Amino acid sequence: MTPNTTPPSTPVDEKRVSFEREALVHLDALYRVALRLTNNAADADDLVQETMLKAYRAWDQYEKGTNAKGWLLTILRHAFINEYRRRTRHPENVDLDTIEPFAVFGEIQDEDPQGAFFDKIVDDEVLREIDKLPEAFRETLVLSDVEGMSYQEIAKILEIPVGTVKSRLFRARKVLQGRLYEYAVSQGYIKGTPA
Amino acid sequence: MNCRECMEHLYEFLDRELTPELERDIKRHIEECPPCGEQFDFEAVYLKFLRARCKTQGASPELKQRVLRELFGE
Repeated sequence: MTPNTTPPSTPVDEKRVSFEREALVHLDALYRVALRLTNNAADADDLVQETMLKAYRAWDQYEKGTNAKGWLLTILRHAFINEYRRRTRHPENVDLDTIEPFAVFGEIQDEDPQGAFFDKIVDDEVLREIDKLPEAFRETLVLSDVEGMSYQEIAKILEIPVGTVKSRLFRARKVLQGRLYEYAVSQGYIKGTPA
Repeated sequence: MNCRECMEHLYEFLDRELTPELERDIKRHIEECPPCGEQFDFEAVYLKFLRARCKTQGASPELKQRVLRELFGE
């Protein structure tokens, strides 16, 4: 049986239009976060693909015009934890309290108080150091510094209190800064303070 | 507001996450206290640098096509 009239706009069309407008525009953001979570471009592609499929299926549950990016990132993170990570490796078991941030400014305030050495550090090196952070630090830092999300939004996505977002972000940034400083010293960009 | 209290709110200040009152207190402190002011400037440079270094990558055209194909059969 062939229908002989086609309505100009079907519910499927509407779903697709709103999904393209509100969800697909965040594909780059999802990819950047996925890449930092998985540390691997092919896995990041798969994770984003899976996230978009889940999101499209659940699109009726999403309250249109609210925070699509946050909603999508929540789906992505759940997919990462429940499926991807279970398949590939065990969850990290790192005691975050044992990681000591290093006071970079104290070391460098005489030599380079304006932080000019940062300019010499290239993208790849920064990303490599981010990827070495413990997952709890990495995901908080990426949502804030890569995606520019507020503490409130990050707390919602990671399902942790805002106070925990603050302390993780503070420590993640300090640890990363310390490692970038050590890298800059090792490359001779700055003299630094001999240990 | 002393230096230690000021430093505790360093990133919240730079992230614009503080209440207007606290933000004002910190602004006043870092204007009056050169060592804290210098450190805040240094950290602001650092955050700007991080953002600039991490923004470059996005989804590949292949991934975009793959998602569209999977969702809409294109």
